[in-house]
Amino acid sequence: MSEKVQEKKSAKELNKILTGEYLQDARTAHEHGKYIAYTTAVSPVELFVAHDIIPIYPENHAVACLTKRMGAKLSQVMENRGYTSHLCAYARSDLGYRVTGESPMGGIPDPDFNLACNAQCFTLTKWFEVLSRAYNVPIFVFDTPQWIRDPEARKEIVKYCVQQLKELVAALEELTGKKYDYDRLREVIKYSRDASLLYRKFLDMAAYKPSPISIFDALIHMAITVYLRGTPQCVDYYQTLCDEVQAKADQGIGVVENEQFRLYWENLPIWFKFRDHFNLLKSYGANILSSLYIHAWSYEFDCDKDPLETLAENYVSVFSNVTLEERAEMALDLFQRYSMNGSLMFVNRSCKAVSFAVYTLKDVITEKTGYPALIFESDMGDPRFYSETQIKTRIEAYLETLQGRAAQVA
Amino acid sequence: MGTEALQRLVEIANDPYGRLADLRKRKKVIGSTLADVPEELIYAAGLHPFLILGTNEPISHSAALLPDNSCSLARSNLELVVGYEGDFFDGFVFSQVCDTTQHLSDIWKRRFPDRYFENFLAPRQVDRPSARDWYAQECRRLRKELEKYAGREISDEDLWQSFRLYNENRSLLRTLYNIKQEVPALMTNRTFFDVVKATFFMDREEHNRLLQEVVDWAQGEKGRYEDQDGYFKLIVGGIVVEPPNIYDLIDEARGNIVGDNLCTASRYIYHDVDVDGDPAEALADRHLRKPHFSPINEDVKRIYTDLLDLYREKGAETIFYVHIKYCESQDYDLPDIKKRMREEGIPLLELETEYQTTHIAHAQMKTRLQAFCESVLGRT
Repeated sequence: MSEKVQEKKSAKELNKILTGEYLQDARTAHEHGKYIAYTTAVSPVELFVAHDIIPIYPENHAVACLTKRMGAKLSQVMENRGYTSHLCAYARSDLGYRVTGESPMGGIPDPDFNLACNAQCFTLTKWFEVLSRAYNVPIFVFDTPQWIRDPEARKEIVKYCVQQLKELVAALEELTGKKYDYDRLREVIKYSRDASLLYRKFLDMAAYKPSPISIFDALIHMAITVYLRGTPQCVDYYQTLCDEVQAKADQGIGVVENEQFRLYWENLPIWFKFRDHFNLLKSYGANILSSLYIHAWSYEFDCDKDPLETLAENYVSVFSNVTLEERAEMALDLFQRYSMNGSLMFVNRSCKAVSFAVYTLKDVITEKTGYPALIFESDMGDPRFYSETQIKTRIEAYLETLQGRAAQVA
Repeated sequence: MGTEALQRLVEIANDPYGRLADLRKRKKVIGSTLADVPEELIYAAGLHPFLILGTNEPISHSAALLPDNSCSLARSNLELVVGYEGDFFDGFVFSQVCDTTQHLSDIWKRRFPDRYFENFLAPRQVDRPSARDWYAQECRRLRKELEKYAGREISDEDLWQSFRLYNENRSLLRTLYNIKQEVPALMTNRTFFDVVKATFFMDREEHNRLLQEVVDWAQGEKGRYEDQDGYFKLIVGGIVVEPPNIYDLIDEARGNIVGDNLCTASRYIYHDVDVDGDPAEALADRHLRKPHFSPINEDVKRIYTDLLDLYREKGAETIFYVHIKYCESQDYDLPDIKKRMREEGIPLLELETEYQTTHIAHAQMKTRLQAFCESVLGRT
């Protein structure tokens, strides 16, 4: 080894390296006696990691397709095969990729097993059912009943979820022919806990004024916790990221100069308009700080509990599976903690799970915060349903309204 | 057409809110949405279970509450209560089977803060032992919640009595379904499925009494309709057939529905609840015996194997699949169902429907159905 001290890698560099290694491992999984499981971004992936099964997220691959503006083309391929254009854009582009093989990243390996956790959404179950028929592989639905606000019911829901996780473990043992190692699972959960806490710390830096991060940073950096949680590399990554962002915060560096408007975003992003939205908002001194979506991976694993129980409790209670009332409270909590003063509420026609509540959430948030909110409809991945002029005009008009209000207060 | 009893059932099926306007004077009315809420529990609590099946009125009141690409049935149900019949109900018990029904529950509850509201969190998988345990557990929870609301204990004997009443109802409906299949000239599809529909709304004892009269009449009359020529046998797949004049179109084409996997027909009338042992487990056992239901995960091939089995067992000529517009679950199933049927050489007609089907859409459906019968089934 050279005498020269190796320079510490930046989070951006690490992101690239870790992603490359992860994909390489996945592509050579079978050569190393490992298995590939497709899973949903919100799912107890720790069970796979501890059992040498490499989790692959068709959603992540779909995001890569949508960001590269391949959504409409891949979708049309599936529409010609009888799938309707109002289904989830992730599902449409993923199924389109299955037919065409077109991918911005060389594709993803085929599954040996599918796991769908419906705390995230119901669509994934149906989408994965299509994949299970196509590849003739088993599907396991981790059924997470709505996390209703009844303490007794919650105890029973956790019991049901734990019972299912035991069934999942048995299914994985059958798949691999290997006995499950719970000690290893405990170790993996510790890594997940540490990474999740650091990820949350990173997201919470949005509370600084000016904010050293925007939601667009979070959307880039969340990818690692989605597909590498449960590993020590994931913990190191978020430690590096937190150190970098903390340094910016300490120097008072914000992502937007003269930050005036600190906004909440409801829903998933419009992946193919990512940069345009950031620049438009920036020109008004506005920054989107956060959303419940990016907080979906801020887990709080309790390593003193039974590992299956803490997995069940965390995954069943994700924002998309709580009641509308509780979801509004979670959004308001972010709104207050980050001192936000406006909201962009996106009704995403291809994500029913997150969007159906948006009309009601808008009413609650505007009523409780006193700040106006903009609600608009489009699609997270299909440019055919994005009206450039209309949405731009509406966002501008909204920001001008906020400016007008700010001027009055001043 | 048939007897006075039959007439009464058909009238109620087609105008439940008008014909049963005085229901609330006798019992508290608890509305539910499809599917799988164990009505037997609600009945045993001394309450009146009532299945909400939308309205054919245009969507206006619920437009601001659910996006226009949400399930037509969900929007229509919300439209019905928000715009028209909200006062008909004392409370609601909702089952959640998909994203739409889960959100609908929350929106509904917020809209009616003064009413009793309970979720029934049915398992969304039925492939593993945990599903049975969970369904039974939810039945126990619902039983306790209903006891609190009704202010009375629900004894096991109350439940068994309720099970017997519902079993009798299902048994009579099965008998009538068999007669209708055997003697299609005796009773149209529309009439039979109206009789089934009436049971979703009516007092079950009264329905049983009227239904028994209809079954007796049908048994007596069926010998007079021996000539069954001119009918073709079909299977109807889907969740629900609405608006009901889809049945009229099938009747006009002389189709005889000999099997289905609808929530509003076979999934409802087949399989009874055991009347001994633990009541919650008995309800769970019945639940697991039901035909496949699109949103509920199990063997992924059942989306078409159930239909194929019915088609072969009943000697049908075709399958009509009724597709609720914007039902995400069916949207994911349909391409694979169609593909499999093509591979099997089985003619399948998809009928896409909205609760608010206009005259134009109805005319288009009629044309499609006629064209299919002529060109595919060779019927003129």
